[in-house]
Amino acid sequence: MRYRCTICGHIYDEEKEKVPFDQLPDDWKCPLCGALKRDFVPVGEETKKTVVIEEDFDEMENLTVAQLAALCSNLAKGCEKQYKFREMEKFRELSDYFSAICPPSDRDGIEDIAEMLMTDLETNYPNVEAKASAAADRGALRIKVWGEKVTRMLDSLVGRYLEEGEEMLKDTQIWVCTMCGFVYVGDRPPAVCPVCKVPDWKFQRMEARA
Amino acid sequence: MRTVAVRNLRLCTKDCICLYVCPTGATDTEDSVIDVKKCTGCGMCAGACPSSAISMVPLEYPVQQKHEESVLAAEDRLSKSKCQQEILARKIAASADKDGLYRLMKAVEMSSRIMAEDVFRESGYMLPQSANAQNLLVDLIEDGPESFPRGTAREILDAIPCNEPGDRRELSTPYYKCGYCGTIFEHSGKGEIVCPLCKTSGDSFKRL
Repeated sequence: MRYRCTICGHIYDEEKEKVPFDQLPDDWKCPLCGALKRDFVPVGEETKKTVVIEEDFDEMENLTVAQLAALCSNLAKGCEKQYKFREMEKFRELSDYFSAICPPSDRDGIEDIAEMLMTDLETNYPNVEAKASAAADRGALRIKVWGEKVTRMLDSLVGRYLEEGEEMLKDTQIWVCTMCGFVYVGDRPPAVCPVCKVPDWKFQRMEARA
Repeated sequence: MRTVAVRNLRLCTKDCICLYVCPTGATDTEDSVIDVKKCTGCGMCAGACPSSAISMVPLEYPVQQKHEESVLAAEDRLSKSKCQQEILARKIAASADKDGLYRLMKAVEMSSRIMAEDVFRESGYMLPQSANAQNLLVDLIEDGPESFPRGTAREILDAIPCNEPGDRRELSTPYYKCGYCGTIFEHSGKGEIVCPLCKTSGDSFKRL
């Protein structure tokens, strides 16, 4: 029997590994991306969750201040890729301006983040996939592929924190892939990002509060 | 497509083969930055560099892919959600009294921002040269909050030419750049134009 990691796609093949999947210890993790045992599903038995696709939502809404911050920092990255460092700084300045005037979130708890991640996985990504497939928009399909995996990992980590609390992160590091946003918990970052395949030096370590 | 050579200093291992092959001496500079005024775009240096530290960068970019309204709407909802998660994670991190929670929320904040940026990249904001990106700056200059750093936005518009000039909106109040001191200032365009900083007049002004 073979099992597939729903986050990075790694296959656990019982025949090759010699240890039945069921007998792996509860704290066993995906050797590639660090996902939990429960994030694996038997190959061939992956059931697609029923998803809600909102057909009536086709209008562009106005951009929020928080969106403008991300839009400007994205354009800063666009300038950086073109070696336009002065313009990159200016877009960062605009992004920082929007971050500074952005009203704080009207929600409070880590449970709220878990709920938003679930909305992304159950509604927002399937919605992007449906619209992008219909329009044959490969760029939009790519952000769905990368972002959905990263979101699933965040959902898994936030869920674990709600269950295990501080113990989960004691004496270990948290790493973020600066290209796709993949989050990895471990002493060292993975050699290549399991989602976007960039090398380990593209990962940034989350530092303790200064 | 016209290109110029650009050296990535992070990759440069000072093999200096570029100096030998460059026909114009553009790569021979004190600060290791290739002189774009001398560079003819021949590509000899990029081909010869053993550490692949030089790339030929296009001076003009093709127009970016257009996206269907239905895709843009779905992407908009997704990026709104990512941005909400970013600001909520920032809020939780700010008041977190435990180290693990603080670092986890900083990771969620950073990850959500990166995913939101990636959505915008595929929503028509990949190139700073695009009419989309430039019209956004025009709109912010015209209708943005009072405290919006308009000077910064105008400097970007001045530095990066639009690659879809027909689709780029004009600023309703014209801005001029002084050819002598580089000051950018507002002027109706009627009557004589005088630079507010260096007091130059005449025809050295560029309308933005």
